[in-house]
Amino acid sequence: MTFRTVTLTAVAALSLGMAASQSQAQTQTVTVPLNAPGTAAPAQTGPGTVVTRGSDGVTTVDTVGGVPADEVAAPAGATPQGDASQETPGALGGVAATGPGAAPAPGSIADPQASSADTLDPSASAMSPSSMTRSATVESGAGNVVSGTTDATAVGDVTSTGAPARLPQQPNVTEDATTEPSAEVTGTDISDTESAARPTAEGETPAPQLSQEEATEAARTGTAAPDGAPATPTPTGSPGEPPAAPKEGLPASATEEQVTAPVPVGTEAGEPAPGEAPVAGAAPEGAADGVGDTPPDEQVPAAAPEGGEDAHAAEAAPAAAHHAHVEDVDFSFEGPFGRFDQFQLQRGLQVYTEVCSACHGMKQVAIRSLADEGGPGLPENQVRAYAAQMTIMDPETGEERPRLPTDHFPTVTGLGMGPDLSLMAKARAGFHGPYGTGISQLVNGMGGPEYIHAILTGYTGEQKEEAGSVLYENTAFASGWIAMPPPLQADQVAFADGAPSDVDSMSMDVTAFLMWAAEPHLMDRKQVGFVSVLFLIALTVLLYLTNQRLWWPLKHRADRLNDGR
Amino acid sequence: MAGIPTEHYEPKSRAERWIHRRLPVVELIVDFVTLPTPKNLNWMWIWGIILTFCLVLQIVTGIVLAMHYTPHVDLAFRSVEHIMRDVNGGYMLRYLHANGASLFFFAVYMHIFRNLYYGSYKPPREITWIIGMLIYLAMMATAFMGYVLPWGQMSFWGATVITGLFGAIPGIGPSIQEWLLGGPAVDNATLNRFFSLHYLLPFVIAALVVVHFWAFHTTGNNNPTGIEVRRTSREEADRDTVPFFPYFVIKDLLALAFILIIFFAIVGYMPNYLGHPDNYVEANPLATPAHIVPEWYFLPFYAILRAFTADVWVVQLVNFLSFGIIDAKFFGVLAMFGAILVMALVPWLDTSRVRSGRFRPQFKWWFWLLAVDFVVLTWVGAQPAEGIYPYISLIGAAYWFAYFLVILPLLGVIERPAPMPTTIEQDFDEHYRPSAAHPAE
Repeated sequence: MTFRTVTLTAVAALSLGMAASQSQAQTQTVTVPLNAPGTAAPAQTGPGTVVTRGSDGVTTVDTVGGVPADEVAAPAGATPQGDASQETPGALGGVAATGPGAAPAPGSIADPQASSADTLDPSASAMSPSSMTRSATVESGAGNVVSGTTDATAVGDVTSTGAPARLPQQPNVTEDATTEPSAEVTGTDISDTESAARPTAEGETPAPQLSQEEATEAARTGTAAPDGAPATPTPTGSPGEPPAAPKEGLPASATEEQVTAPVPVGTEAGEPAPGEAPVAGAAPEGAADGVGDTPPDEQVPAAAPEGGEDAHAAEAAPAAAHHAHVEDVDFSFEGPFGRFDQFQLQRGLQVYTEVCSACHGMKQVAIRSLADEGGPGLPENQVRAYAAQMTIMDPETGEERPRLPTDHFPTVTGLGMGPDLSLMAKARAGFHGPYGTGISQLVNGMGGPEYIHAILTGYTGEQKEEAGSVLYENTAFASGWIAMPPPLQADQVAFADGAPSDVDSMSMDVTAFLMWAAEPHLMDRKQVGFVSVLFLIALTVLLYLTNQRLWWPLKHRADRLNDGR
Repeated sequence: MAGIPTEHYEPKSRAERWIHRRLPVVELIVDFVTLPTPKNLNWMWIWGIILTFCLVLQIVTGIVLAMHYTPHVDLAFRSVEHIMRDVNGGYMLRYLHANGASLFFFAVYMHIFRNLYYGSYKPPREITWIIGMLIYLAMMATAFMGYVLPWGQMSFWGATVITGLFGAIPGIGPSIQEWLLGGPAVDNATLNRFFSLHYLLPFVIAALVVVHFWAFHTTGNNNPTGIEVRRTSREEADRDTVPFFPYFVIKDLLALAFILIIFFAIVGYMPNYLGHPDNYVEANPLATPAHIVPEWYFLPFYAILRAFTADVWVVQLVNFLSFGIIDAKFFGVLAMFGAILVMALVPWLDTSRVRSGRFRPQFKWWFWLLAVDFVVLTWVGAQPAEGIYPYISLIGAAYWFAYFLVILPLLGVIERPAPMPTTIEQDFDEHYRPSAAHPAE
């Protein structure tokens, strides 16, 4: 069967996806990874790992630049999940250390203004490193760690000087402790982001600094966690450090069979949530957090039976398996008046940049659109800085040059690379029922975003080898076994706005971002729909009255029957 | 126009006379809009104007879309995304166009089934009916080719499957298929010619629509009673009819506005509901989608196509009788086109002299069963061809043919029609005048 062959090929290709080695990446037409121009060893945004896969299915993982290949490693230890999960937090701490300053969206806001090459670099480096630098950095960061007090002061600064500016940057880790800032933050909204741009002047230096401090903090927390069992540190750490996430540490992926495991963890995560309200207007997020992987919202396993339809060309999974399980999730952009949450999009961009972009391109999306209203809304200069971190082969000169905002996100193809994500949120349907009619979509929507979210959080931790490639069990995938290793580990990405970075939150963020990438005019469209419908209702009423009046003589006054004309 | 006695246009001013002597265009327009129309038309007679609107909408949005679209395999998908992202209002244009096709087909099915119920296809309106069927065929061709243009996975594989139908014709099939595709497989040549034809056919449809109008303006509209307008005198005719303008213009506009509320709600809030997610994946000749589904409006006939598999005894019998020339695949193709053909021939298959289903007690049941059958076929067409679904589609397909080939011819003989009103006026008055008013006529 050709179909079978296609499937296998696709699966094999995908299986290598997350493991993209540097060398492999370089063979691509375009440089995939987004790394800081300044950073020496760029390319591997994701894991700084080289994964060699023998035909026999044996996987060798090498770490480059002292970066622990969490993603790859974690899943590798099928059963020893515990280990994997423990590792991750540590790594995360590292991430945090470097990350915050780097946080592409928010963090960089400050930098670009400086515009000097120097400033750019740091920001840039900050961006990708999260995943790269990890543990290594963590250590150093920790060393730098000043002390608890320093943190406090830092926080104070944040509040006093450029509270808004930070907002996006969000060192907030500390914020829990200090109530004030949190309150402020909460109050702020989109407007803040805008304002965020201006504080740049002062923001320059503080930003990176802050990040470092945070980093150190995070590192501390992070390190603490790994030492003991992930469980223990949680309670203690939580009060002071909201980044509680790291402690919970159990990457969703690592969690046992089902969503069950994360649930308890989730509750803990829930605690910090309130304090971190600033996280954004994304109320649903908090909710999701609290519950862990199983959002209580409406667990409409609408599509359970028809999951088979999901086998798509790219991933070409056998249509057979039916245990695909996609749950409805409340995203801020759903519903007639749904809007993208700008902060969430920025966080999503960060997750995409630091994690997904290692193996997935987004070729249909122009980088300039990051500045568009209704999208992440990054300031122009920041977009320019972001673009410059990636290179492109200039067709005219035939040389590599930094990307411009007018360029698109990279095209990523090749062995082991995943499908393009530009339209992924529209290219999958999460719901098909009842009886394959798709009528449930009238209520729940197509379920594209839900599908992505479900895939990201649907790993059970099981894995198997098939035809020389490793497959990971995923409850949302049509065949039940997906070639993409669990991409997200708790605390893998440190958000500058202090938003929780457990797997569920991160996947919510990146899903929202991908929805925006697929349908950048979603909000405009809904508005057009709303205005049109209102207008047409008014028109209909008027026409109805006209029609009634017009026909009245004919229908009710027989004597004038023929004069009505 | 028409044989219905009515007031005709007379040029009054000098200018009008001047024009009229040279080009009687004003007369044409005036007579067109004042067409005497049976005054008892119900709400099922609104679909014509919806369809006209759809045609205009599709042509207008389509022409603008064509300004931004590139019919090349390497660029088509990207150019559609360019429209969606960078062209001002491009996303609305495209969603209006895509969903406009769905509205078009929804309306045409309502229109067709209204005709089937009220017997509008019966003499003297056979030609109107046949032209309508031609329009429907042209619509299907246009929609099919339009769906290929975005060059997504479903575009590509849909095109492959559908053009493959022609390959099933014994002997000359493969040659025809290759001729249609411009090569051995769906490729750039195919995309280019489909784009060209997709641009051309709507204007063919528009021309057919004019003939369609012309035909029914000659015969006059049918109406829910199926009784003809009295034509013996102007006075009688006036009692049965009202001029199209303003009575039905306003009524139709009201219906249109109402339908558009729903239409714009779909375009604004769930524009991809009727599409297939796979079409947001760029065409890839190396990866076949898990299962290939045409657009919803083709599903009933797609189900009929798939219903006749090699294990159906009819297929085996035909295969045997034709010495193996007609295999299951070709049989399926014949069945699909046959399903439309029998529908087109219904004026000569229906033997009943009563037009309206309103006065045919048995017919009603069979008709509604056909309507349900159509919905079931639509649903089953979207299901994978496995398990119980092939049986359902086989039953559905069998009923479709039975309705036109067996039931309609027999019913005309067996059935005793219910008593009918004698005039349209009487029907109208019974409906709207309780009693008090005055005796009609």
